[in-house]
Amino acid sequence: MPYLSEIQHRRVIEPNGNEVGKLADIAVVPQGQFPAAQWAILSTPSGEKVVRWDDLAQEIGHFRLRNRLETTPDAQLPAEALRLARDLLDKQIVDTHGAKVVRVNDLQLSDVDGQLRLVGADVGLRGLLRRVGAESVAERVVGLAGRQLPRGIIPWHLVEPLESKNDAPAKTAAVRLTIPHAKLALLHPADIADIVEEMTADERIAVFQQLDIETAAEALQEVEPEMQAAIVSDLPEERAADILEEMDPDEAADLLQDLPEERRDELVELMEKEEAKDVEELLAHSEDSAGGIMTTDVVALPRGLTAAQAIDELRVKKPDPQLTYYLYVVDGEGKLEGVLSLRDLVVAPPETKVSEIMDPHVLKVAAETPKEDVAALIAKYDLLALPVVDARGRLRGTVTVDDVVELMLPRGWKKRSGRAIAR
Amino acid sequence: MTVALRSVPLRVRRQLRTFLLVLGPGLVTAFADNDAGGITTYSLAGAQFGFGLMWVLLVTAIALVVTQELGARLALATGQGLAGLIRERFGVRWTAFAVFTMLVANLGTTVAEFAGVAAALGLFGVPRDLSAALSAAIVVLLLARGSFSRIQYAFVAIGAGVSIAYAVSASLAGPDWGRAARALVVPEITWTGAYFLTLVGVVGTTITPWGQALIQSYVADKGLGPRDLVPVRIDVALGSGLFTNLVAAFIIVACAVTIWANGGTIRDAADAARALGPLVGPSATTLFAIGLFAAALLGLGTVPLSSAYFACEAFGWEAGLHWRWREAPVFYGLLTFFVAAAGLFVVIPGLPLIDVMFLAQVLNGLLLPIILIFVMLLSREPRLGALRSGRVLYPLGWAITGLAAVMSITFVVSQLFAF
Repeated sequence: MPYLSEIQHRRVIEPNGNEVGKLADIAVVPQGQFPAAQWAILSTPSGEKVVRWDDLAQEIGHFRLRNRLETTPDAQLPAEALRLARDLLDKQIVDTHGAKVVRVNDLQLSDVDGQLRLVGADVGLRGLLRRVGAESVAERVVGLAGRQLPRGIIPWHLVEPLESKNDAPAKTAAVRLTIPHAKLALLHPADIADIVEEMTADERIAVFQQLDIETAAEALQEVEPEMQAAIVSDLPEERAADILEEMDPDEAADLLQDLPEERRDELVELMEKEEAKDVEELLAHSEDSAGGIMTTDVVALPRGLTAAQAIDELRVKKPDPQLTYYLYVVDGEGKLEGVLSLRDLVVAPPETKVSEIMDPHVLKVAAETPKEDVAALIAKYDLLALPVVDARGRLRGTVTVDDVVELMLPRGWKKRSGRAIAR
Repeated sequence: MTVALRSVPLRVRRQLRTFLLVLGPGLVTAFADNDAGGITTYSLAGAQFGFGLMWVLLVTAIALVVTQELGARLALATGQGLAGLIRERFGVRWTAFAVFTMLVANLGTTVAEFAGVAAALGLFGVPRDLSAALSAAIVVLLLARGSFSRIQYAFVAIGAGVSIAYAVSASLAGPDWGRAARALVVPEITWTGAYFLTLVGVVGTTITPWGQALIQSYVADKGLGPRDLVPVRIDVALGSGLFTNLVAAFIIVACAVTIWANGGTIRDAADAARALGPLVGPSATTLFAIGLFAAALLGLGTVPLSSAYFACEAFGWEAGLHWRWREAPVFYGLLTFFVAAAGLFVVIPGLPLIDVMFLAQVLNGLLLPIILIFVMLLSREPRLGALRSGRVLYPLGWAITGLAAVMSITFVVSQLFAF
């Protein structure tokens, strides 16, 4: 099992033993589970020369060309080829199993059916030590203590490369897009968000261009607020508007508030009417108030409805699960009159009016209420959601517990808790 | 009508937020730049040589803007910190060298911050071991609770207050402003070892290895991209160019008028405090102590953290305060080592605190060219695209790096011959 660092810079000799240069790099096409080495890049006194990998034979301590250098044909690297040393070594990759960004210390190659294949990325201490030529020394020192140096190898099929083609800026964006982020899309949106935060601006945009709209929206909601704004500013407007539509209106409004005014107006303009209206309503409130964090997707049942009609209404609207904790009853002008639970509705006789089963003592807040106070109320009364009303008592939206949970937790918790989930 | 009234302040606030979102890295770095070592070094410069080192400030102001802008460009184009870029471009061995250099310089700076706390609290009669333990505990607590990022603004505010105090104090002492202004432009060089040593210290406390790392990780963490170049530039120019060096100039002038003009010297913190005498009279000691304390704590919260990030970014280890100990052992290990080693060092009995603070800046100055060479080599990377340093910035950057290198080599060689 050779490592790239062990065979890179080995001498390359002609059949007659004449040294013609060194092995500078190996290139693969990043497809399939374990891509095969297809090209060798030799550094010769007259510059770099690309040859097919099959033109080389590995011998102890060096490589031997099957023919003389002059008669070995020049090979052409296709655009999608990855050069292991230049494009991967020391670069960041995504470990899709651990769902995090790591740095490649070395690359593990292996002979599979007579083909040298890329099988893993070494991201551990061993790889680092090997690169500075201290692996065996360190191994002996650790061995004295009766321990072993840990291995840190990620199998290649769990790796998602991030960087490519550092030296071709004009081509960069195009080339990056050809690397499919298929493995990335399978991760939980919160994990995608963590990974995206460690990428460069270009890579982030490439990822958000490729993910399906729904995943993109969910992932974007989990990204740190400052970076959210940066991402939305860099995305093409149409794409940004599509993602914003798919986001929860309150999250979308928070994000839009961090954008410059012209950009914000452009995006709202591009959004579907319905979503844009919700977002604009939310934008009118300060983001530190109940009105700024509430969602406008709320189930409001007219007071004249019967239990059976109300259930039909829910069947049609199919509201998000967190919006069905509480159902609100409103009068003809939209004024909040009472609240009932899904259970109340189901167990009531079908012909009963909702106004008869509702609880008229409903706890509510004004849109201007500071969000800390909202969080305190929700915590104190063990609520799952709190309705928000305007000055005339009309129902404007609801703040659910997940909108304020961050205010209740000590700082840093949201990030940390993710690590506790078993994978 | 009510809607209109309410929406006005809201809109203003949003625009301010957008502005602040981009603005900030340069300003914060600039504030942190005037740490305990900075205040001490500028005070020594004024007390020993009067206006004699003023011209250095003008040169370092330009140099600081250039080097910080180079760093900001790297981060804007790549979204990576300095350590990550060095690793990707130069491989493991050179990275190890860069990390080692950075850690040595930063350990020196951390020692200086602890010495700053000890000197400040010493003015109130607090013994050194107690103040070292106290400040270590405060920093660990603030970082662990995640409240440093909020409380740092209090330190910044105190720092700004003391800076203004220096400005007012300098004016009240009635300096010869004409001479001071002339000294800013026309170098009056004294050809002595002490003058040269102080010069290295002034350069080393203004343009620092950790400042280069900080500006870059700050810009990268904010997720800023190439389109933010203009506001970042303004930010860097204001923060680094104007603010850092303006404060430095006022400290030097204040010390020149109050201490140097009267033939005094600075042997301990109480001497340095006399520069604030014209403003607050006998309370100068207290004011100086508060300022030095805040500056030192700001540095203590910044430098060990940025060192641990730097090393971990270079080698791909988990870094950040949201990890648990077990998940990021190297990060927390380094952080602990910095605080413990530097804290213990200051406890050595009879350690001349002022000298320690000053010599740490000299160490920074000597190691600076190594980091600058890395920055310069990176600044022409093709991957920077349009942000590659161009016809003005590139030669200017190399000129600055060259000057810093000449300064360092001359210093080391002259020390070797002195022995």
